[in-house]
Amino acid sequence: MPRSLLTDFELMILLAILRVGDEAYGVQIAREIEATAGRRILLGAAYAALDRLEGNGLISSRIGNPTPERGGRAKRFFLVTPRGVRAARDTQQALVALWRDVPQLKERHT
Amino acid sequence: MTRPHAPCLASALLERFVPDSDPLLGDLIEDFERRPSRCWFWWQVLTAIVAARWSLDRREEIRPLRLVELQPVDAIERSRQRCLRFRAINLSASPLSGVGGLGLAALTFLVTIVSPGTWWVVLASSVAGLLIGVGIIAMHAKPPEALPTIRPDSLRAQ
Repeated sequence: MPRSLLTDFELMILLAILRVGDEAYGVQIAREIEATAGRRILLGAAYAALDRLEGNGLISSRIGNPTPERGGRAKRFFLVTPRGVRAARDTQQALVALWRDVPQLKERHT
Repeated sequence: MTRPHAPCLASALLERFVPDSDPLLGDLIEDFERRPSRCWFWWQVLTAIVAARWSLDRREEIRPLRLVELQPVDAIERSRQRCLRFRAINLSASPLSGVGGLGLAALTFLVTIVSPGTWWVVLASSVAGLLIGVGIIAMHAKPPEALPTIRPDSLRAQ
């Protein structure tokens, strides 16, 4: 059976792309995760995960125009596919279900 | 004030070892403008190479014990491409070409400076190796077999 749930890193990347929007590319995704989750990520690892997600049909990508500030290199923009949104939702539901009714994680009201 | 450039060797290595690395390299260059640290750039490049190679190996792995329907649809094509990829290696595209020649030149220079007498040992070894080789060939060489000769008398008798 193919894997439908995401790893924490893949989930973070997927959510970062959704948060950034249509113009999500490597640097912005890394900055979004750093700013929101406080986790500094390696761009190479992020691209490996992005390739994996694209291979599974959870995201799609397109190549933009080369820009001089990037040494004439083009940007690769990422978009989350409907299947990716569904995978993120499935993962969220699975995590919330696991979270629920765990005594050690219940908030203590004094 | 001039802006620091991203390390060229690191960029070349990334392009050599990571397939379709153009957007990643662009991202690294863009981020390098923000934090111009060569150590940071090198660290990013090395981890990117490791991550890409690992990811590539896992992606191209074909597991024969899996059920057929769980194989990727292009498994055979990928397998074929992989074989072709390892067969055809363009060494001229390598950023490390010339390192061997440079290394040999550096070694020669170093030996000449540090211990020039070593060259006599190298020369003597070469001559001795040559003599031994010739000796071995001479010992194992078979003498040419005598070809049958036709005498004019025998022709006349026929």
